[in-house]
Amino acid sequence: MRFAALFGKEFRECLPWMLLAAIVLFAFGGFTLRMQAHDINPIREWSRGYSTPGTTMQASRLTFNSPLAVVGPWVFGSAIGLGLILGACQFWIPNFTRTWPFLLHRSVHRSTVLAAKLTAATVGLILAVGGIWVGLFWYACRPDVFGMPQPARIFIEGWIFITLGLVAYLGTAVSGLSEARWYTTKIFGIALAAIVIFVTAMQWSLVWALAVIAFSIALLLSQLFDTFATKEF
Amino acid sequence: MELKNVSKYIAGPGRVFTTALIILIAVSVVQAFAMAAIETFVYAEHRTATKGKPPRTEEEKRIGRIRQASKQFLPDGTIHLVYEPRSKDGRIIEPRTEQIYDANDHLLWEGPKDQRPYEYLSWAEQLRRYTDAFDVMQIKQMQMLTPVFSRSIEVPIGSINNTEQIWRYRPGDECFEGYAVGGGRIGFIGAEGFVDSKSKVKPLGEFRFFTAWCPGDSSSPTLLWQTGRRVYQINFEKRQTELLFESADSDIETISLHAWRDLKPGTNDYIDSKKYRPLLVCITQDGVHHLILREPDQRLSVAGPRSSFTATRQAIFAYRSWADVFSVPSMAVSPQLYEEWLEQYYNKPQKKWMELYRVADDGAVQLLNRYDWTMPAPDRPLHMESLLATQRLVGHFSPLLYSLLFHALGTEFWSYVQQSTNRGSFFYAMLAFPMWLRSLNGLTNWAISALMMGFVFWHGLPRRTSRAQFAFWLVFVGLLNATGLLTYLALNHTAVIKCPACGRRRGLAQNDCIHCRAPLPTPKPRELDLVFKSCC
Repeated sequence: MRFAALFGKEFRECLPWMLLAAIVLFAFGGFTLRMQAHDINPIREWSRGYSTPGTTMQASRLTFNSPLAVVGPWVFGSAIGLGLILGACQFWIPNFTRTWPFLLHRSVHRSTVLAAKLTAATVGLILAVGGIWVGLFWYACRPDVFGMPQPARIFIEGWIFITLGLVAYLGTAVSGLSEARWYTTKIFGIALAAIVIFVTAMQWSLVWALAVIAFSIALLLSQLFDTFATKEF
Repeated sequence: MELKNVSKYIAGPGRVFTTALIILIAVSVVQAFAMAAIETFVYAEHRTATKGKPPRTEEEKRIGRIRQASKQFLPDGTIHLVYEPRSKDGRIIEPRTEQIYDANDHLLWEGPKDQRPYEYLSWAEQLRRYTDAFDVMQIKQMQMLTPVFSRSIEVPIGSINNTEQIWRYRPGDECFEGYAVGGGRIGFIGAEGFVDSKSKVKPLGEFRFFTAWCPGDSSSPTLLWQTGRRVYQINFEKRQTELLFESADSDIETISLHAWRDLKPGTNDYIDSKKYRPLLVCITQDGVHHLILREPDQRLSVAGPRSSFTATRQAIFAYRSWADVFSVPSMAVSPQLYEEWLEQYYNKPQKKWMELYRVADDGAVQLLNRYDWTMPAPDRPLHMESLLATQRLVGHFSPLLYSLLFHALGTEFWSYVQQSTNRGSFFYAMLAFPMWLRSLNGLTNWAISALMMGFVFWHGLPRRTSRAQFAFWLVFVGLLNATGLLTYLALNHTAVIKCPACGRRRGLAQNDCIHCRAPLPTPKPRELDLVFKSCC
């Protein structure tokens, strides 16, 4: 019950940011995808301008972005952005508003407080970004929209971006809880998240990308638990 | 698991790892930046120095002309040196003219390039990456997890103004899947051609390379598709897959084409099919050249050194070019070998030669002509030496662990890492870091590490909380050099006080003094400190 109450409180506090991310992704991602649905055939025809009979073709002209490419930056941006905002709201802002004592000096274990925050943020990311992403992917796969279904790999890549949002959230949380100065080790949480995002973007193997993300989440979670359990608020 | 256990067993090492990783990246970036900056500076200095050279003598000009001239063969085996004069800064002079010399350096002809009176043999060429062909490296780049998602290979089929079908490559299943633009799946194309269901499709094999062209009578692309051991020609319009070559024993290394594609006269890469037979050359890793010819169909295998081939309507020719220098060894893998190579390359004249062969129907080769020339020893560029010097300099602050790993795993392993990095493997590129940034001056590196360990001993002794931890940090700093020291300072910077009992320095992270075991002094209780009084 206590966990549910804390989760409700955290979720309520996350809700405005979740809604903002969902609206931005749905409005801009959905709009650009809809525009793409009207323009897809002219794009194919444009590429065919190079396939004149009796000529060699530049091989790279046979590689195409998925129509969902226009949605990708919105999924990526909203996941990372929401992760950063939730991490800052839950772990950094209370340092300024001095609300940590009100939250922690109750008859609940610190781990319950932390678990409620983490669960609220994870559910927020899944619902706000993941839910809209599933909807947009489903729309793009309809036969009357682009003629052919989108590769399953693209769907997984979207979810990898969402887990990167979780990495950004944990990195911000670790940095927010650190008592060091920003120009020393306090920045390391966010720096690790940035490195992980960069390294993931360099991967072509989904397995490697997921392995890197899982390892970084484990690293950041362990530090978050440790800092939260031992810090004097 | 209890939170305190998480803290003890996971978070502590995790924090050390995270901090060391970030600092290691920062130090490596600084080292790489320093190497690039010094190299650029020295290279610019070298360029400025070479500008003031005296003008070349006639003999030097002649040698330079021979070096720059392309060596061409007539079908009867005669060799000509075709030289295109250039301006002093190396630019092409318009209108383009050329001079043709015979093997004895007599001028045979001079005039506009397009009025050349000789017709030389043209050769099967390896296809150019990024322009004509698409290889494994590019397919990996295409699949990178960028914010616009990965790309896929799609082949549009139809007339020039109307796409009717799209065939998409499925990397996981190693086949193509076709869709009608109006909606609906057409079927699959794999190793055995078109099938209507996924369960029947045979995979093409692990992708290595493809090139595409539109035949003279179609605007739909035909693909030449190379896998590890096979080469296919895929015609999507006719839904046909033709297996052109299969290597039983060894992987295919490169392929090259000559007059293979049905191109229109006047287009790039057009070869006159009245003079030449279609030829596909596959070179396998065991060093065998496999020639697949058409009109009429013929297959040949030619063993021996790397050669270029062509097939006229009358005969098949091969040419080989040689130089008496061994190939450049990797500087990172073996600096000693690299320096030996520099010495040999820049300090002695180089002998080069070209040989033209006729290839018999059984794959035997017969020498037709040979041309050789000797080049004076080239000037040793200053920037190449500076590379080694710079690596030595920045390597002083590289982790000692890099050198230990390098020597423990051996040059064979690192050569493999280098090759895999060149093929675009991210994992091996990360592994290659120790190879590139390791110290080349072992003794100095050891000395700097020892100095840093000494500092940590002086700094950490009064601050130590346990002997094991103190020993860990000493070893850690010793192995990671500058990275280790910065990590140590980032995670162990606690204040020290003078112990009130023994007067020696002690850290505040532990209650007992490490020298006299006296506890930390407690503050004097104040009058209003009720809680303190009641509990103690």
